[in-house]
Amino acid sequence: MWSFYFHELMRSLPFFMKGVWMTVAVAGLSLIAGTVVGFICGIIRAGRNKILRAVIGVWVDIVRGTPFLVQIFIIFFILPGAGIELDAFSAAVIALSNLTASFICEIVAGGILSVPKGQREAATASGLSQYHQLRFIVLPQAMRTILPPLVGQYVLSIKDSSVVSAIGVVDITRVGWFTVQRIPEGIMVFGLVGLLYFAICYPLINLSGYLERRMTVMTIRL
Amino acid sequence: MISFKNVNKWYGDLHVLNNIDLEIAAGEVVVVCGPSGSGKSTLIRCINRLEPIQEGELVVDNMAVHDKNTNMTKVRAEIGFVFQSFNLYPHMTALQNTTIAPIKVRKMKKADAEELGRETLARVGLKDRIYSYPAQLSGGQQQRVAIARGLCMNPKIMLFDEPTSALDPEMIGEVLDTIKMLAKGGMTLVVVTHEMGFAREVANRVVFMDDGHIVEVAPPIDFFTNAQTERGKAFLSSILSH
Repeated sequence: MWSFYFHELMRSLPFFMKGVWMTVAVAGLSLIAGTVVGFICGIIRAGRNKILRAVIGVWVDIVRGTPFLVQIFIIFFILPGAGIELDAFSAAVIALSNLTASFICEIVAGGILSVPKGQREAATASGLSQYHQLRFIVLPQAMRTILPPLVGQYVLSIKDSSVVSAIGVVDITRVGWFTVQRIPEGIMVFGLVGLLYFAICYPLINLSGYLERRMTVMTIRL
Repeated sequence: MISFKNVNKWYGDLHVLNNIDLEIAAGEVVVVCGPSGSGKSTLIRCINRLEPIQEGELVVDNMAVHDKNTNMTKVRAEIGFVFQSFNLYPHMTALQNTTIAPIKVRKMKKADAEELGRETLARVGLKDRIYSYPAQLSGGQQQRVAIARGLCMNPKIMLFDEPTSALDPEMIGEVLDTIKMLAKGGMTLVVVTHEMGFAREVANRVVFMDDGHIVEVAPPIDFFTNAQTERGKAFLSSILSH
């Protein structure tokens, strides 16, 4: 029986590849949007405007303090009640972007605040504008602190993207659900599901480790 | 060139600058000294508004630093500032450290700024270290890069906040010699330091501060040999006794 099911599973590979593309699309778009929004919010959160800082702080706490599944349900099932109708794919991308942005915001703010105060003072004293200070003095140094956990967050977000299967997005996980109904070998089917996620994440895990080592070396040198 | 009139500053309840009145003329070299916590670092950090003042008038090069509407970028471009802890940009070479402000603030062409950076680094004796990163330089060399960074803006005033306090003893001389060179060149200098030999040699006046007040202002020879106040005498005996 096992080899029959295995054969069947191999025949469903094209279906799984569609799931892989869906996962890559949802996660990819969310990582891009989450990175952009996360950096903007992180820069503001490390800035001087107390009100904006507090608003972003509340947003981060809410996103981090509620289950991702609940956030997706709110965006997909509850927002339409308020007149905002979204298809499953858009809802998934918005929810995952929001989650990713909130974590990246904290990573970026932490990185910026790790740059010694004297660096900004020196730049201020020489007349550099706020923008130039950020662009040429603070961010390049903050990136050493930001990059390793940023790539780590990418891995977490890709894995969290499996939750979007709950609203009907046909990603790798959803394909697994469908397939296991035809091929009742749970370990085999979800083994493949896990393997596919691993194949996407593993290069990033390596990159994160590499950056961590490289940044440590740079810190010692600097 | 620099004029303090009734300047007051508080950190919460702490009165760090108490009715400061001080006029510094163009080309003058002023050494500020006093016990730690006396307000001397705060005093020079106010000159380019790294710290804001709460009361009084502070005019630098005819620009009102106390006025919130003053364009500080313009004021700061005319004032070089050298920190105790150097504060060089660690991700840039010595040359890049000196060229970033001329390029971004003075809108100088990159090639011109690099030419200027090279010349200025040569002036402070670092001709062969222009491509070194701060971490590859000794403390004395880093501080000289920091001085060159300030000079590249072609400032009218240079401020030094304890420029030798973080240095090993054998490197203090090279940094003081660089500052002396500027003094002889006629630049307006305000130097917070405990190097009394340096003060005696190059300062026009010594400003002695204690507890947020300017207690004495006198030519160095008068201050060192004939301090007028008990606090001045006590301070001198405490730093000259070893």
